[in-house]
Amino acid sequence: MSGKNGAYLVRRALMLVPMTVGVSAIVFALIHLSPGDPALAMVSEQGSDPAIIAQVRANLGLDKPLLVQFGIWLGNIARLDFGTAYSFNKTPVMDLIAQRLGATLLLQGLALGISVLIAIPLGVMAATRRNRLFDHLTTGGSFLGLALPTFWLALLLQLVFSVRLGWLPAATAGQDAAGLGKLPYFIMPVIVLSLPTIAILSRYVRSSMIDVVGQDYVTAARARGLGERPILYRHALKNAVLPMVTILGSQAAHLLSGSVVVENIFAWPGLGALAYDSILRRDYPVILALTVLTGFFILLINLAVDIVYVLIDPRIAFD
Amino acid sequence: MTTQSLPLSAAPGAREQPAATSDSPWRHVVVTFRDNPLYLAGALFVIAIILIAILAPILVPYGPEAFNRRQPLKPPSTTFWFGTDRQTRDIFSRVLVGARVTLSVGIVATAIIMVIGVVLGAISGYFGGWIDNAIMRFTDLVLAIPQFFLLIAIAALFSPSLTTTMIVIGLTSWMSTARLVRGEFLRLRAQDFVLAAGALGATKGRIIARHILPNTIPIILVQTTLWLSSAMLLESSLSFLGLGAQPPTPSWGCMLANGRTEMQTAWWQTVFPGLAIFLTVIAFNMVGEGLRAAFDPRSRRR
Repeated sequence: MSGKNGAYLVRRALMLVPMTVGVSAIVFALIHLSPGDPALAMVSEQGSDPAIIAQVRANLGLDKPLLVQFGIWLGNIARLDFGTAYSFNKTPVMDLIAQRLGATLLLQGLALGISVLIAIPLGVMAATRRNRLFDHLTTGGSFLGLALPTFWLALLLQLVFSVRLGWLPAATAGQDAAGLGKLPYFIMPVIVLSLPTIAILSRYVRSSMIDVVGQDYVTAARARGLGERPILYRHALKNAVLPMVTILGSQAAHLLSGSVVVENIFAWPGLGALAYDSILRRDYPVILALTVLTGFFILLINLAVDIVYVLIDPRIAFD
Repeated sequence: MTTQSLPLSAAPGAREQPAATSDSPWRHVVVTFRDNPLYLAGALFVIAIILIAILAPILVPYGPEAFNRRQPLKPPSTTFWFGTDRQTRDIFSRVLVGARVTLSVGIVATAIIMVIGVVLGAISGYFGGWIDNAIMRFTDLVLAIPQFFLLIAIAALFSPSLTTTMIVIGLTSWMSTARLVRGEFLRLRAQDFVLAAGALGATKGRIIARHILPNTIPIILVQTTLWLSSAMLLESSLSFLGLGAQPPTPSWGCMLANGRTEMQTAWWQTVFPGLAIFLTVIAFNMVGEGLRAAFDPRSRRR
């Protein structure tokens, strides 16, 4: 890694802090400017005495000016204290997220891994059989895979495999169902999550393989009498990997977004379901924590992608 | 819910060339669509959807809100092509009228995306310097918030409705367009014909509107088509989660959510509205890819 690139990456890393504060500010402002009052929602079950509502607002710190609230909140998250949830039995937000994180990571990790394992050979084969039947089929397939609404695919799978055939459970049975021992629960959510990723990834593998295969060093490798398979997978693929890093990065960044719909349909006890519930309940601390943490995660992944770029390809120079 | 598009004809990172250099880009559009059956099918389907949306009130066999007494949850038949729902409404009629809902959300949301994206991108790319820096850092910030999460948060907090949906999709989706347009402006403003216009005394506003902007139309057009399909997909997802159009609006997403509890007995409630979303999204994607291929000299050679 050259000194120039090193300095650039350090500068990028230092930018993480103001960027995270910026993301927090946007979400904080949006949430607090929206109509509706969490205090009102909390007391409504016990009647609506204005004094009680005022007391609840004071307890939550909602009576202070917005900037002061933001300052207090920022100070707390600097110490990794995201406060306690308004609902969810008043659990500390970090505990709540920790409980759900595993289920989401397991599901998404599995989906991402399977996508890579399927997409790479698919893309390579499409590239080597360019403009032949296999290539056209994968092109058509990825077109369909990308346009397929995930929630509809999930419903169709449930309709066929749970309702009609009764082969797979339609949804998890709650908190304890996310263990790897319950493999059947994973099958449909993983299919739904990996199909669009396979569609995108295989296309990128194909087009970068087509670019790479025409280059001199591949011809040279052929001239040296190397077999077609080692040429493709060891020499060509190595140089086709770069754009894949970007795509994988952006897919990982969409983790939470993708989780919301799928976890909702399959009753998966993960972060996506938590996000959905917290939004419906106007649970400000949970919404804020989830947004800021995923925002930070996305920024971190973008940085990681740049670092990987530099590590893989020494020719790259940032300025 | 991702909103990426496929590099179907061009290598990743390949950039569309300006229309200025070729004789007539529109001729290429016609030829590209004429010669590729997939693009052509997409275009025809898009025209069909638009016609259905316009003519829906005349086409429907029953009113979308009309109750057909004693006919709840009837399977598809010659009287009710797509069956009926629990409230005895004809699903075929509701799917046709749903094209109106979805298309109008798509059009308004995309209009917002394009206005914000093009204006910010143009300012950023043309003026450069600290203005460019400020706008691009703000774009980075918004990009760092998971889009769909932001979408459902705003939609839920500002009481969900069709209007909220349009505005929210528009406000959370302009970033990629802004970046693309900025890149084009950066490139074009250094070109001779723009410099010449400046030397001849043309004002900044005139240079932007008359000399640079027309050359970005191909990119804007491709973006518009692709965002139309993405916006419609986002609307369906939101409505499906109960955070978009509210019942009894015949939105395809709402209809899917409505049929979810009756999947055991009435599969047609799950199949037909979803199929409508799927086909519409594919058709708009095809047209987008067709336009991209037509405007991209790289793919023309291949």
